[in-house]
Amino acid sequence: MQLKNIDRGGAFLALSLMAVLPLIFDSTYLMGVLTVAAIYGIWSVSWDFMSGLTGRENFGHSLFIGVGAYAAGFLNTTWGANAWWSLPAGMLAAVVFALIMGIPTLRLKGPYFALAMLSGAVIMQRLMLIFWEYTGGEEGINGIEPLIRSPLYFYWFVLGMLVLTTALLGGLARSRWGLILKAIRGDEATCQAAGLNVTYYKIASLVISAAFAGMGGALYAHYQLQVSPQLFAVVTSITIITMVYVGGMSTIYGAIGGALLLTLMTEMLRDFGEWRLMIYSVALILILFFLPQGLVAPTWKKIRDRLAGGRP
Amino acid sequence: MLEILIFGAVTSAIYAMLAVGFTLIFGVARILNLAHGSFYALGAYGAYVLTTLFNVPLIVAAPLVVIGVALFGMVVERVLIRPMRKSQLAVLMISLAISLVVEQALFLTFGSEYRNVPSFIEQKYVIGGVDVAGQRLLTLLVSVVSIGGLYLFIQKTRLGSAILAISQDPEAAQYMGIPSDRIFGVVMAMSAGLAALAGIMAGPFLSVQPSMHLLPIVKAFAIVVVGGLGSIPGSIVAALMLGYAETLVAYGISTSWTEIVSVAATLLMLVLRPAGFFGKRAAF
Repeated sequence: MQLKNIDRGGAFLALSLMAVLPLIFDSTYLMGVLTVAAIYGIWSVSWDFMSGLTGRENFGHSLFIGVGAYAAGFLNTTWGANAWWSLPAGMLAAVVFALIMGIPTLRLKGPYFALAMLSGAVIMQRLMLIFWEYTGGEEGINGIEPLIRSPLYFYWFVLGMLVLTTALLGGLARSRWGLILKAIRGDEATCQAAGLNVTYYKIASLVISAAFAGMGGALYAHYQLQVSPQLFAVVTSITIITMVYVGGMSTIYGAIGGALLLTLMTEMLRDFGEWRLMIYSVALILILFFLPQGLVAPTWKKIRDRLAGGRP
Repeated sequence: MLEILIFGAVTSAIYAMLAVGFTLIFGVARILNLAHGSFYALGAYGAYVLTTLFNVPLIVAAPLVVIGVALFGMVVERVLIRPMRKSQLAVLMISLAISLVVEQALFLTFGSEYRNVPSFIEQKYVIGGVDVAGQRLLTLLVSVVSIGGLYLFIQKTRLGSAILAISQDPEAAQYMGIPSDRIFGVVMAMSAGLAALAGIMAGPFLSVQPSMHLLPIVKAFAIVVVGGLGSIPGSIVAALMLGYAETLVAYGISTSWTEIVSVAATLLMLVLRPAGFFGKRAAF
């Protein structure tokens, strides 16, 4: 079999399994877990698209997620707009923030982008608490309408968005565009010498990444039916980064595997409630040391090679 | 007016203690340490544990905590950061992960409630009609003395010259037989100790809870961007600028807007002059 076909078959199999799982087990609990996993999948894929490909790590992805979720929350409750406006609004809000953060920082080499994103997310979380008259403070915004009433259909919709996100971003990553982004990770100066507008590519990829993160944030707001400042927390970003690292950097599909794996693991570790974030942080340190290539993508590559009949 | 002058100075003093350590370890070892805020948090919590739970007098507890956190910083550098030093991003990742481990450890042991760190001086003083807590004045003094001491140490001692040499040219320094790995450990310990001292001094009038390490990192980063990465005079000047800017905003507009100052300053500076005010010069 050809490698491409095996990849497609694997993707189809995984997708159908995820789609029918709630039908087989018929539990709202499982459906909730899978919905969250799919949303985390969207976030991880969007993180991997910018940071995995260009090697500019974004420590404040939660900024885009939170902004998207709050945009959805405001639109739906304060202004009473139809819930379906939330997705484009979330994307747009995140894009605005991506431009504000990206234009000053991505022109530069060095760690400025990573740190500025971290600062941005921390400060936004503080602002949500400080301006509690407008944002609801610690409580956040409550009473958001569901996007789709039936949890099963909503789950399928989220899954569909995950597939769409992955197809779009994965396609972009394999195109000439993605090649340029990977080249920037390899050697920025050479790219510049070859006449590429490096800054433009970096900012554009951040904008695309932010748009999907913001959309994921809006989906999350309509799943939880409320938003809180906790969305902006650094741990949200770290959770996503850990998922991508577990999945395997810059593979796009690996990020989904990481998101699924870690979300399910979290549910199994539910009894350890308070220890969850500790486990994540320690897992991240261990992965950085012992599995820099990640877990999901290398495993899949091995399986694929086995199926292809030992061909490299 | 005098109020702004005094409170701005105190805020700047704390920021300077944080930013000098942060910029020092970057200037010397090229380590951007996102766990820097954790040292600050550990300083405050260390003082709390020793004084409240073990009834150690603060004057004894403070040096113990500073030394303990300095050793912790050394261990972290040796075990976790050094193997990752090849890649700056890996250092950022690992130090951020460390800071979260510390945060979670504090959360799991002490819970998320605010803790009270005792003051050295409970008394209040009146300066030109302004009420100032003695602790704040002492913080100002401690900051000036500790940063001054650090500066003298770097300028006057043999070890200080070695640190300076590495920051100017790491390879040449190594050819001259300076054991750079060992120096990094020492610098990390000094940087961590200074942050812990800031935590002990600022603990009584700031909120001490597990996620307290995040804002100091944001402030230190803003200061270091404005002052220039790796420059100690730059970070002192920038700490004064940020401290006074925040105080002015607090008095002139509203305390709500103070938090925006640091991020706005960072972004503006990166647009106008990315190297910072003192960026092009040598580290000291």
